[in-house]
Amino acid sequence: MANEVLSAISVCKGFGGILALDHCSIRVEEGDIVGLIGPNGAGKSTLFDVISGFLPPDAGSIVFSGREILGLPAYKIARLGLVRTFQIPRSLMRMTVLENMMLGAQGQAGERLYIPLIRRHKVMAQEKEIREKAEEILEFFDLRRMRDEYAGSLSGGQKKMLEMARALMADPRLLLLDEPFAGVNPALADRLIERIRILKEKGLSIIIIEHAIPYVLALSDELYVLNKGRVLASGRPDAVISDRRVFEAYLGEGA
Amino acid sequence: MLDYLVSIALTAGIYAIFALGLNLQWGYAGLLNFGHVAFMAMGAYVTVLLSMNGIPLLPAVLAGMILAGAAGAFLGMATLRLREDYLAIVTIGFSEILRFILLNWSSLTRGSFGLFGYPRPFQDLVGIRDYNLFLAGLVLAVLLLVYMLLETLARSPWGRVLKSIRDDEAVAISLGKNAFSYKVQALALGSAIAALSGSLLAFYLQYINPNNFQPIETFYAWIMVIMGGSGNNRGTILGALILWGFFSTTRFMEGYLSFSPTASSGARMVLIGLILIGMMMFRPQGLLGRKEELSIGK
Amino acid sequence: MEQLIANGIIYGCIIALAAIGLSLAYRILNFANFAHGEFLTLGAYFALFFAASLDLGFLFACILAIAATAAFGVALDRLAWRPMRSSGANRTAIMILSIGVSIAIRNALIIFFRPDALRFPLPVSQGINIGGMTVTSLQVEVVLIAIAAMLLVHALLSRSTLGKSMRALADNPDLARISGINVDRVIRCTWAVSMGLAALAGIMYGLITHLNPNMGWSIILPMFAAAILGGIGNAYGAMAGGIIIGISQEISTAFLPAEYKIAVSFLIMIAVLLFRPRGLMGGG
Ligand SMILES: Nc1ncnc2c1ncn2[C@@H]1O[C@H](COP(=O)(O)OP(=O)(O)OP(=O)(O)O)[C@@H](O)[C@H]1O
Ligand SMILES: [Mg+2]
Repeated sequence: MANEVLSAISVCKGFGGILALDHCSIRVEEGDIVGLIGPNGAGKSTLFDVISGFLPPDAGSIVFSGREILGLPAYKIARLGLVRTFQIPRSLMRMTVLENMMLGAQGQAGERLYIPLIRRHKVMAQEKEIREKAEEILEFFDLRRMRDEYAGSLSGGQKKMLEMARALMADPRLLLLDEPFAGVNPALADRLIERIRILKEKGLSIIIIEHAIPYVLALSDELYVLNKGRVLASGRPDAVISDRRVFEAYLGEGA
Repeated sequence: MLDYLVSIALTAGIYAIFALGLNLQWGYAGLLNFGHVAFMAMGAYVTVLLSMNGIPLLPAVLAGMILAGAAGAFLGMATLRLREDYLAIVTIGFSEILRFILLNWSSLTRGSFGLFGYPRPFQDLVGIRDYNLFLAGLVLAVLLLVYMLLETLARSPWGRVLKSIRDDEAVAISLGKNAFSYKVQALALGSAIAALSGSLLAFYLQYINPNNFQPIETFYAWIMVIMGGSGNNRGTILGALILWGFFSTTRFMEGYLSFSPTASSGARMVLIGLILIGMMMFRPQGLLGRKEELSIGK
Repeated sequence: MEQLIANGIIYGCIIALAAIGLSLAYRILNFANFAHGEFLTLGAYFALFFAASLDLGFLFACILAIAATAAFGVALDRLAWRPMRSSGANRTAIMILSIGVSIAIRNALIIFFRPDALRFPLPVSQGINIGGMTVTSLQVEVVLIAIAAMLLVHALLSRSTLGKSMRALADNPDLARISGINVDRVIRCTWAVSMGLAALAGIMYGLITHLNPNMGWSIILPMFAAAILGGIGNAYGAMAGGIIIGISQEISTAFLPAEYKIAVSFLIMIAVLLFRPRGLMGGG
């Protein structure tokens, strides 16, 4: 049996009257891409918020890399290697693309207040390494020529790319991508699929929330369907997608 | 002429240091400190009181900085987990409370009577005639040092985290940065810098009293920071010069206009209020800033 | 002790009225208004001005002053707050602007009325004795009018369409907009109510003490403390908070020098933020 990276068990989260997550469980195995689909308001983003520690759940358990992370502050969860992106890209508008990227690197000695003052050379050397890595990743996402632009001036699709690229700077073990294809044009989307596959080959585990079913089918090893905060179906993508209930859930949304 | 330059260096220099502390908090970390003057007052009073009791000046100044830094950190810890306006409310309250305490704890501070006759650095060596010239040099040296310190930090990974928190705290957290701790650090360091400017102010004035530290002083610093373009250390120093110019020209003009002193200082303050309003409405990015670097508007 | 409590209630009523306006503005306009103290001062000076220049009796001058302050609030919305809102400025920018407004108004009053303390042109009211406490008939009137004003606010918030629109706007601005609420009108009304209450509080404060251009600014801290204690944004909480702050400040004078009573509201505020950040009544 493969190594389990994440297992969220019976997570519940209510907002006032509505139950956004209702005993929701999800597992991710090492090196897998897990797709997460469901109609609008199904609770997908809320599940990301809870897993990444941005929202406290009402009940449940979340184990990451064999460790209970429920109750840990969000920044500590990120440091453990569980990094999330946001559905609406959150660029640091008044920082350049390169600065956005460099922020993502972990273990930066120079982030301690006194280190830049007393160990300048060490910090400069580390900055150089981080910059090189950032440019490499930017190249991977076709953003390198934008590196000195303010992030606020990027197009919607570029912001989505930057969002993902920046998360990769943190060398995550598990990456949570919230609708990475939204606002990305189809030609770019095909390249993005390639890139996500390459990341998977390097051993990264990913959960992808996505509305565009073809992209999800192209990528996922496992597929979860969420509806009204519950897992409606899960398993192999082709099997899940032909499940009648899934079809009905989406229809129900349209009606 | 020299006297004139010396007076610019002293007032504008001391206020520039004061405002640089605020720029770290607001310009880089987006923190609303509306009680910055409290930390200046702490620096001045701690330094003076300790040195009057025989403590050498350097440790006395450092003690003021440490105490102010700790106070800033405490106020931050009480409020920074909440919405950002709580920090503004609490800091402005703190600055008023501190002033009340200084006014009323007469056995320690001599209240509104004020403190004077305290030691100043190297006063025996320099002599009274050239003292202001010497002090101006000292102020400029400290200003340069503080400026270099802040520039180094602003360009460092530490400064990068601070700016990311200002732009969008959630991003910083999602990338593993402990935003709360950075905000507390920025508050503490900025407050310590304000305390340093307070010690220098005390050396310059030779006489301190609680009414030197009215809330309006805080907003002078705000004007300097915003005018120069928040998050721009050089701009802040420029802002200090401009505000200094504003005060000296308006005082100069008063000589020709026959206003009563209260009316003319009132008019000057109305103008200060209007400047703050006008900047927020029409030029929040400051005089030099570019729109993309706007750190307030959104 | 009873005397202190009586004083506290009188002072607390004034703080409560002011804090309601502050809290309403916070809830609906979404920012902490640091010029609120000046609105109290402005109301008091309007009343003084009308009482001195028009021969219509003090009560009428007060009503006129409240109307004038409310009108001033609406005008200020046109000139400053609305342009800020429509340019998409965030609330920190608006808060800084409110500081500018506060400084400008306070000093304009200093120019026109000089910084000295002034009194309303009223005869000194006689003290009466109620169960061991000495209060003046004026103080009793202040409390009664404050209670009447709070009941009026309650009626406005819970019964009227305006109150409903205000709540809708506070809960979800976007939804309110698309559901056909005239947002600008509701905001103007909020300002009018908030500033009318501030004017009333200012007049009362002037009645029980005296007027000076600094009077509103000097009690901004208890106002915020009251609003936070009641859960900022919660009008009923602000009322309760005001009374609690008023009474605790007065009682503290039994143990501490009176100069420190304003520090009591600061300490209460810090304690609330540390242990009950949403205020005693929840909300927020
Ligand atoms: N902060 C919040 N406060 C109140 N309700 C919320 C909050 N966040 C989400 N919700 C509600 O929880 C439910 C789930 O929302 P969520 O954003 O998780 O859906 P989603 O599956 O990501 O939808 P979409 O595909 O539109 O992004 C929705 O009904 C939403 O309105
Ligand atoms: Mg979503």
